[in-house]
Amino acid sequence: MSHEPMHHVIRLKRYEQPPEGYFDDFLREFHHRQRAELLKPSISSLVMDRFSALLSEFRVPTMAFAGTAAVAVIASIAILSQPVPSGGPRTLAASYQQPPVTIPKMQPVSLRFDNPSERPPLFPPYYMLNARPANHESPLSF
Amino acid sequence: MTAELETTANNDRELVARTQEGDPSAFDELVVKYSPRLYGLIYHMTSNHEDTNDLLQEVFSKAYRSICNFRGTSSFYTWMHSIAVNMTINFLKKRNRRQHPSLNDPDSHIENDPDFIAATSNGDPTKEVSIHELQKKLNAAMMKLSHDHRIVVTMFDIQGIPHAEIAKILKVSEGTVRSRLFYAHRQLQNSLHEFRRK
Repeated sequence: MSHEPMHHVIRLKRYEQPPEGYFDDFLREFHHRQRAELLKPSISSLVMDRFSALLSEFRVPTMAFAGTAAVAVIASIAILSQPVPSGGPRTLAASYQQPPVTIPKMQPVSLRFDNPSERPPLFPPYYMLNARPANHESPLSF
Repeated sequence: MTAELETTANNDRELVARTQEGDPSAFDELVVKYSPRLYGLIYHMTSNHEDTNDLLQEVFSKAYRSICNFRGTSSFYTWMHSIAVNMTINFLKKRNRRQHPSLNDPDSHIENDPDFIAATSNGDPTKEVSIHELQKKLNAAMMKLSHDHRIVVTMFDIQGIPHAEIAKILKVSEGTVRSRLFYAHRQLQNSLHEFRRK
């Protein structure tokens, strides 16, 4: 289907024009707006003015802030230039890993001795602490 | 049309160079030259004279602030139209959809246009459609189109800009321009079936 008919109808909109004299005044209004923009301060200059006013309220020398800012920058560079450990959390955790500890299953022991033959001997228990190791000698022996 | 565009490009190059060298009167000449064309582009997108005036002022302000960065890789014509298209579409996206149109009165010469006569009579001499009625219907049909489709209709059908130039302005392929036009015309046909020429 040809769209030629629609083209002819839509073209009629070009007859819609602004009021007479509009374009003669347009340039004049453009100049007026340009001059108004030049007089209007920019946002950045407003922020700087406010900041300067705040500084003067605290009676801080202007150069002090420059020095503080310089120190802050140097400190930031120093911190950021620190070498980052090559191992991540995973590697560090892995280095501390040990074989899991296995606890042998303990069998419950009954303290009741129904059978006399099961009674332990009446000898006193032998404690290892009573025996001296062979290489132990009294420090005062000569 | 291509030869005309080439002559325009040469003249523009000289005016842009003078503006970049610090001669504001050269930019004034560009404003005078392009304001009618860009007015039409913005007006047919917004259907509001007041919005068009504000937008057109902002378009030229932006162009003046950016002209030092204009390197001439495209023609000034393409560059200006791109700025106008982008700013207009951004404006439309932010604007309330229920904006009332503020239409300009059509020039009285429309009554002698054969297309107008054909569209309003439609072969039936007893049927009379007023200019304003036609204008309202055309405007309503255009406003139903998406921004992408309305801009190609505005540039091709209303302003007579060739497909290739529209493609450069919109930074799309010529095929995309043609397919958008085809779709837009089909949509407009549905809205304006009573005004189609037989």
